Amino acid sequence: MKKQLLKSKEIDAIKFKKGELVAEVEELCGENLFGCYQCGTCSAGCPFIEDMDLGPDEVIRYVVLDRNEVLNSKTIWICASCYTCAERCPRDLNITKIMEALRQIVLRKKIDHTKLVKISKKERESIPQLAFVSLFRKNIG
Amino acid sequence: MPLKSYSQKIYHDVGIPLQDDYFLDEPEEIVQNKSMPQLESAVRIVAERTERGEKRVIHGDVLIVGAGISGMQAALDIGDKGYKVVIIDKTSTIGGSMVKLDKTFPTNDCSICTAAPKMVELSRHPNIELITYAEISSLDGKPGNFTANIWRKSKYVDPDKCTGCDDCVEVCPVEVVNPFDEKISMRKAIYIEFPQAVPIVYTIDYENCVGCGSCDRVCEPEAISFLEKSEEIEVHVGSVIVATGFEVFEPTEMRREYGYGKYENVITAMQVERLLSSFGPTEGKVLRLSDGKKPKSIGWIQCVGSRSTQLGFPYCSRVCCMYATKEASIVKEANPDIDITIYYMDIRAYGKDFQQYYDHAKDLGVKYVRGRPSSVYENPDKSLTIRYKNTLTGEVEENTADLLVLSTAIIPNQGNKKLGELLGVEVDENGFFKQQSLLTDPIQSTRDGVFLAGCIQGPKDIPDSVSMASGAAAKAVAPIKDREKHIGKEFPPEQDVSFEKPRIGVFVCHCGKNIAGYLDVEKLTEAAKKLPNVEYAEHMMFACSEDSCKKIRETIQEKGLNRIIVAACSPRTHGGLFQDTLLEAGLNKYLFEMANIRNQCSWVHSHDWDAATEKATALVRSSVAKARYLQALTEEEFSVYPCTLIIGGGVTGMKAALALADMGIKSIIVEKEPKLGGRLRHLHSMFPSDIKTEEIIDPLIKKINKNKLITVMTNSVLDNLEGFIGNYKGKVKQKGKEKEIEFGTIIVATGFREIDLKGRYQYGKNKNILSQTELETELKNNSLKEPKNVVFINCAGAMDEERPYCCRVGCGVSIKNAKLVSQKFPKSKSYILYRDMRVFGKEEEEYYSDVLTNHHVTTIRYAAEKKPEIILDKDRPGDGSVTVKVYDDILNEEITIQADLLVLTINTEGEVMTEKLKNMLKVPADAAGFYIETHAKIKPLDFSTSGVYLCGAAHYPKNLVDSIAQAEGAASRASIPISQERMKGEGIVAEVNEYLCRGCGICESACAYSAIEMKPHPKDPSRFVAEVNRALCKGCGSCAAACLSSAIEQKGYDSKQINVMIAALLEKEVAA
Repeated sequence: MKKQLLKSKEIDAIKFKKGELVAEVEELCGENLFGCYQCGTCSAGCPFIEDMDLGPDEVIRYVVLDRNEVLNSKTIWICASCYTCAERCPRDLNITKIMEALRQIVLRKKIDHTKLVKISKKERESIPQLAFVSLFRKNIG
Repeated sequence: MPLKSYSQKIYHDVGIPLQDDYFLDEPEEIVQNKSMPQLESAVRIVAERTERGEKRVIHGDVLIVGAGISGMQAALDIGDKGYKVVIIDKTSTIGGSMVKLDKTFPTNDCSICTAAPKMVELSRHPNIELITYAEISSLDGKPGNFTANIWRKSKYVDPDKCTGCDDCVEVCPVEVVNPFDEKISMRKAIYIEFPQAVPIVYTIDYENCVGCGSCDRVCEPEAISFLEKSEEIEVHVGSVIVATGFEVFEPTEMRREYGYGKYENVITAMQVERLLSSFGPTEGKVLRLSDGKKPKSIGWIQCVGSRSTQLGFPYCSRVCCMYATKEASIVKEANPDIDITIYYMDIRAYGKDFQQYYDHAKDLGVKYVRGRPSSVYENPDKSLTIRYKNTLTGEVEENTADLLVLSTAIIPNQGNKKLGELLGVEVDENGFFKQQSLLTDPIQSTRDGVFLAGCIQGPKDIPDSVSMASGAAAKAVAPIKDREKHIGKEFPPEQDVSFEKPRIGVFVCHCGKNIAGYLDVEKLTEAAKKLPNVEYAEHMMFACSEDSCKKIRETIQEKGLNRIIVAACSPRTHGGLFQDTLLEAGLNKYLFEMANIRNQCSWVHSHDWDAATEKATALVRSSVAKARYLQALTEEEFSVYPCTLIIGGGVTGMKAALALADMGIKSIIVEKEPKLGGRLRHLHSMFPSDIKTEEIIDPLIKKINKNKLITVMTNSVLDNLEGFIGNYKGKVKQKGKEKEIEFGTIIVATGFREIDLKGRYQYGKNKNILSQTELETELKNNSLKEPKNVVFINCAGAMDEERPYCCRVGCGVSIKNAKLVSQKFPKSKSYILYRDMRVFGKEEEEYYSDVLTNHHVTTIRYAAEKKPEIILDKDRPGDGSVTVKVYDDILNEEITIQADLLVLTINTEGEVMTEKLKNMLKVPADAAGFYIETHAKIKPLDFSTSGVYLCGAAHYPKNLVDSIAQAEGAASRASIPISQERMKGEGIVAEVNEYLCRGCGICESACAYSAIEMKPHPKDPSRFVAEVNRALCKGCGSCAAACLSSAIEQKGYDSKQINVMIAALLEKEVAA
């Protein structure tokens, strides 16, 4: 089954300093994504895999093949930075860092899909305050 | 001096502290006898020597450290050449890791059954001194003159007296975890590793023995000797071979997420081997360790500890894919109801018939899931849940297995660093021994005169280890080649007994209680005495012991016996020993017959005394009947022409010639091309390093041209061949002229070629579509234009219905070429489309990952059913760019790449001349044109036709490292007949009765050794008769069984002899 990702004009418009996504990610996280053997260990061990649209291994694949739409993926935001993937990766890739790099690329462009008004009242009550604080900080940069 | 005195005990350096109650239940006089036995054997000699402060000194030619399959092969190769070998092993037996295995891939041959004959051969070899339970402690000197010190630990059992009867084990009260069974069973503190151990001498485990003396009290041959001392032995040799093998990764510290050591039903693959083994703890049944129940499902996890840059080792362990496939298919074949899944990253079925073996496992129903499990949890019923991502479907799944097997990696021995320091040899970053140069000299260690064999250099399967061991044997002989050779044993002249009436002697063995405890040996002896022609019959405690053999020898001379029967155990293990006894007494060794009353009577009828005795009597009776018709047989002797013909002048052929020359043996290289160098002439550089081909072949050609022992014939083809091992005559066509040459042995090193793709993958239709060889030639000539996108497609024409095999070298070649292109044109992008990435050899995995990370090569896996599609440009089909469409499993979509260079990794096949050559040499080849060796595992370099050997890619495509190891190995094999100068054929051979032979030729095709030929009758040329070549005949008897007119008799097993045996077996008891 082909994975459906969101489309965003803002993200499609991102221009990379180094010319391509891989180079940008590699510079930000210091990991060499081409070392990935696509074994799937990271995805199988990820505690949040059920909620992700792309597995961590697929995220790496998108980046390697220079597909910018990966930045639209929910995965990079769902990642809780628990380091389980990094701990078990036979190739010693720090996938957590890769996720952070991808988040940084979006954040540094000040792109945010969160529409405060669209959050229902019920949800607003259940979301911790800290989350909102983080969100505001993130958007201020 | 009674052992009761304390001073004696204290004096005994590393002895076992004897308890005071040791002698309590025995009367004083027995204590006197037993405690201070007449130390007549090795034990006393050692004790006395140590007392004098001296040590044992052995003068040998080659020292071999480690007696696994590699060490054994090297020892036999050198011993057969006539040089003295000292071989040591740190365990109490020989055989190494191979004997622990149940079966071997890809032939499913029983492992112990193929290893045991080598073990027995080694222990009986006159040129080989075997020292078990010993370790090397120092090595000084230089090639040709090494001095090594060896510390031999005491086994506390006298090897000369121990008969291997197992009585001591029964009474020993101490149970310890058995390392031989990979810790899943218990053994006693006195033990042998396994029933077929060589030497069959029990060992007291000093660490765990409590010194109760129970074993000593029951030991009938009085072999237990607490006085035996550990000793230092000084060995003087000319060269050293290190073959100490490997350890298996234990995932307790690293890779803990798989739960080994925490969950009972998570086990290692080596433990499965022990479970499957017929002499393992469960006698061949695969059971759950937690409850002993048969599992309903089993999972295998691959690459545990290997291919891991963290929590493991970075290299590929090379054998795990195949051993997991083997174990899984053996279990599945026996229990189709067990659900079996193998979780893998890449299946590396790289060797000869490996891919077919893997396909067969899939057909059996073994499921393969591409995905590396992340974690394992135990369920309340002790089954295990495995969490993994199936990377082919993209789903994260969970699966339960009743038993989970971890395919753990081959890792270097923990003591390798220390051993390396002590031998003065460098160890690589992983802990394996470093070779001088991986690509050109894989067997030579970093110290001159010290050579490597087997897994000490890196993970290897058995045939590659055996080839390398033979290679080490060739190289180790070079520094000592001029020393005196010892071929065979010396015996007194044989008496002619052909005109004498049969005077038969029967010797019945008690084998301790092994035979005498289950049947009536006295009654058997009495019955034997009454048989006609039996002059003498006797029963003895251990017929194989030194003093019994002496007794047999004396009786032969005293009573004038001319036929000997020993009623004991198997002729396979003990026949040779008694035949030697006959030879020592001046009798022909074929005047001997053995009745196996231990295996066939006392063991199988252990519960029925009378039946066992009756059957034993019948067996002896039939042996006596046969013995009356036994005749002295002669073994044909023939001389060997001291020169080897090497067909093929590539690197393999040249390396073989140089190895032979180093041993002082002449060779002739016949090469069809105008220049030496073979395929490498067309290639740019070699995987897995970046050495240019010229740097490899040019020095070799220079060396060859300088060497006076090597004759090179280029532009030449072997046109005609006559003769047999030792005496070949060949005609070589050289530029239209014919030349006659003479040689004793032949090495086939003809190499391989790329197959004809017949237009598939649009090959040949566009000039931007190249084969790997064409690309390398362009790179070499610097004629490649800068491409934007390069696509490599692996497995073109491989692993499909037409050619089901893997080409073994393609993955490596494509990776290396991707690197070359990226290096030359940093701006171009490279894609490798592959099926399974098969980079298995030393430093290959590391090279692969280096190319991926440093050159940003993108790899795309494609499935067998979804081959990449190539579309030519409509406007410029001949020279435009091509479109490659490939389905990517991870993205789950089709990727389109516009390639301006497409490189195909084309499958390979045997050389053009294979068809003609195989008929000329009388050797077999498979459908792909690769030659078929005698035995896929332990005789990878020999043909069943004696005197012809093979190496390199003629056997199967292989990289330079393996080819060179094989070339040197083949040189070693081919030099054995030449070193022996004269060869002896078999005594038991087929004989043709010319009057009865109808010349139908059935026997010719039945003969597996090409020993029979149909020839015109010398007196009547109109009819054909079969002629047996006694030099080639192995005495298997196939021809005699096949002959329709009973015109062929098998000497030593002729119809008369067999008929009287059957008649005697059916006869009612004569005495009754």
